[in-house]
Amino acid sequence: MKKKMNITQGVLLGVAACALLVFPFVAQNSYEVHIINQAGIYILISIGLNLAMGYAGQFNLAVGPLWGVGAYTAAILNTKFGFPFWVNLPAAIILTGLIGAFVGLPSLKVRSHYLAIVTIGLGVAINIALLNGGSLTQGAMGIPHIQMPDFFGYPINSDQRYYYLILVMVILGFFIARQILAGRIGRSFRAIRDDYMAAKAMGVNTAYYQVLAFVVSAAYAGAAGALFAHLNTYISPDIFDFPATLFVLTLTMVGGMGSLVGSLVGGVALPILQEYLRVIQNWQLVAYGVAIMVVVIFMPGGVIELTRRLSGWRKNRLALVDRDASG
Amino acid sequence: MFLEIEHLTMRFGGLVAVNDFSVNVQKGKIHGLIGPNGSGKTTIFNVLSGYYKPTAGRIFFEGKRISGLAAYQITARGLARTFQNLRLFSSMTVLDNLLVGMGHHGRTSIWQTLFYPVAVRREEKEFLDKAMNLLDLLEIADYAGDLATSLPYGHQRRVEIARALATEPKILLLDEPAAGLNEIETKKLREILGKILDSGVTIFLVEHDMKLVMETCETITVLDYGKKIAEGSASAVRNNPIVVEAYLGREDVL
Repeated sequence: MKKKMNITQGVLLGVAACALLVFPFVAQNSYEVHIINQAGIYILISIGLNLAMGYAGQFNLAVGPLWGVGAYTAAILNTKFGFPFWVNLPAAIILTGLIGAFVGLPSLKVRSHYLAIVTIGLGVAINIALLNGGSLTQGAMGIPHIQMPDFFGYPINSDQRYYYLILVMVILGFFIARQILAGRIGRSFRAIRDDYMAAKAMGVNTAYYQVLAFVVSAAYAGAAGALFAHLNTYISPDIFDFPATLFVLTLTMVGGMGSLVGSLVGGVALPILQEYLRVIQNWQLVAYGVAIMVVVIFMPGGVIELTRRLSGWRKNRLALVDRDASG
Repeated sequence: MFLEIEHLTMRFGGLVAVNDFSVNVQKGKIHGLIGPNGSGKTTIFNVLSGYYKPTAGRIFFEGKRISGLAAYQITARGLARTFQNLRLFSSMTVLDNLLVGMGHHGRTSIWQTLFYPVAVRREEKEFLDKAMNLLDLLEIADYAGDLATSLPYGHQRRVEIARALATEPKILLLDEPAAGLNEIETKKLREILGKILDSGVTIFLVEHDMKLVMETCETITVLDYGKKIAEGSASAVRNNPIVVEAYLGREDVL
């Protein structure tokens, strides 16, 4: 049941691929590349959040702090034990996934808004643990001097080079997510979101899939954390506080909750917008709050839903024109 | 023994919804469960399908105890149900609704999903074929790709039945499948019940449409205020004065 691409789509995809490949060379300065690198990291967290929240209906509002768990795992393994990025990445994914399972346990007892509040609380607890981890996490001082990775002796030591690492990770993350959604797991997620009781009656092991949704979203945050730590070479607990969750939530909702492409759109758009919003500083959080409200009220499916609606409207219009012409 | 309910009592606080109820459902038959509104029929279904843990009493299916198991485990043992108020997965197509029901037969692991998509695709193909067969059986194959909740009401009822059958049950619990159907649709439903029975699936039927119940069920159990008040063939139940009284009230003696 594969859909064939038409020529326009093929050309568009080719142009997009070229643009992505040459971007670091045409960017004005490495700071622009750095922002896009951050965007890639947010996209990864957002894809995870989207799988849990948009598809399985499980409000994991601890993704910010879980991102921190990934970052700290990588940072500690690197600075204290000298492990390279390629070891720290899977380690961060596994450890964050495990902690994600614990964060997901309350989902077996509470639902929707209540679950959101519980996970926010657990996120705060994780953040406090990072802050008070003694010599291991180095408190509010954070962990400096994290090494940038190298690839078989080739150092990935600039934003331009790191860009390609992140690009590969985002593409990989995107297709893994698609793979998860395409089969039984994705259907079970959506069944739980659509009708919890009916899902149970259809033989869906709801508890398993609920916790799995949390594990998957945490694993994505963990991968993003390892990438973040090795990119910025310095991390501190305040980066991974609740506002980080709120930012990812905002960009996911603006892009489109329940659409992986929405995560890509929101994940690129919001971090760039954030740069322009720097002038309003502390009002940024207010801006995110307003953005969420506007999205929820006027376009619950985010930008993606909006474009879908527009193209549907255009198609309908064309169909009408066709009918007029033939009749 | 196929499906046995032994001395089932279900209490919600002070309310006794089901009181010391026992029944034996025979394999390969249609067994009806009737009673006035609020007599506890749906509660019995909810206990059977694992939503409620019974206050007292036990349930056996094919000789094994199923009371106390989780809902998904009960489905895995071969009990499937439909709902009185339609509960289709609203974001999914008709086909996907059925595929959810097949999910618990899935053998592919999450690791295969991630790293060995070929196995997953093979399994999907198998599910797809079975699902299309079921849609054919219920004569709704044309709607396979449509959003389930966009179908006419009568067709949505059939999707519910198809979805329950997708779990490959040995016994199907139907909770008022004829509710809201017109006469033609009800006639169709009766045909479908016959086909399901022919395919070897036992049916336990809760229904208010007396004509349908009387014509299809070999055995009928009558419930009133959570207690069994009668059981037997259609004609026996119909002529039972206690049943008549439960439904119509006591006949005033002049």
